[in-house]
Amino acid sequence: MSAKIKEYLGEEVKSADVKEGKVLTVRYRPNAKYMWSTGVAMSRFLKELKNGKIIATTCNKCGRIMVPPRMFCEQCFKPTDGWTYVKDTGTVNTYSVSFIAGDASRIKEPIIVAVIDLDGASKGMGILHTMSEIDWKKVKFGMKVKAVWKPEKERTGAITDIKYFKPL
Amino acid sequence: MTLEKLNDPREIGHWPGHMETDYIYTLGIAGERFFNEIKKNGKIMGAKCKQCGIVYVPPRIYCERCFKKLEEWINVGKRGTVYTYTVAYIDLNGAKLKEPTIYAMLKIDDTDGGLVHKLGEIDPEKVKIGMKVEAVFKPKEKREGSINDIRYFKPVK
Repeated sequence: MSAKIKEYLGEEVKSADVKEGKVLTVRYRPNAKYMWSTGVAMSRFLKELKNGKIIATTCNKCGRIMVPPRMFCEQCFKPTDGWTYVKDTGTVNTYSVSFIAGDASRIKEPIIVAVIDLDGASKGMGILHTMSEIDWKKVKFGMKVKAVWKPEKERTGAITDIKYFKPL
Repeated sequence: MTLEKLNDPREIGHWPGHMETDYIYTLGIAGERFFNEIKKNGKIMGAKCKQCGIVYVPPRIYCERCFKKLEEWINVGKRGTVYTYTVAYIDLNGAKLKEPTIYAMLKIDDTDGGLVHKLGEIDPEKVKIGMKVEAVFKPKEKREGSINDIRYFKPVK
């Protein structure tokens, strides 16, 4: 719509017409399932999360400690050399505040999504997660945070085994 | 320098996902009227172009040859001819069907259009291209304004 065009030609179907069954519709839910193989590095990473630990891989050539772990150093073009644990504390590298939930519905209490550079890993190495126990207006770049884990029994070997990161 | 390998396949994780790609499709002006005629009156309608004489089944609102608005709707009856067909022995998920399903492209008699639908009351071996068929409707109370309000097409005796 613009200043010149106030309404479109044709017959508009409003979402209420669909909801109230005033117009005929075809509804379909495609069965779009997929299975993603987590590979060597990510399989171990997820297994370690279940134990409440965060694991990284190391490269002897560039000396980086990489998290999430990978089997190949993308800077040296060689296989990584070993495994090491990193801490569950870190620094906010960047963040975003979302007032829209995963299904695009509006929410009052926003979701704070942040990239957390983990302590013990190389600079700029971290994971994407959410933050909580903080007013979204008070989130700052560079602030120190710590992971809040699910109780051991509830962990499934998923990134959600960490519930969120809270300020230290 | 070798890549670490997992020898036990149980060590390799999998991550299942499900993409929610639901949709609702509205039928448009012609589709709405076409399916309501099937639902309420058990009639298959076509749209006739006054200018070039083409009869569209399913009906449209404009003639795609001469761009004239199609205002004349006619009951085209429920008979047609098998234009081509295929026999499915498995369902959409690849599971074996107890009874094969016969899908056919049917030309509706005295029109220029047709419908894709199922054939019933006939053995797959006996289906022939060019055979005469007619629509079998669901009882009126079970019709909901869908192509499945026609259960199938059966051979004309």
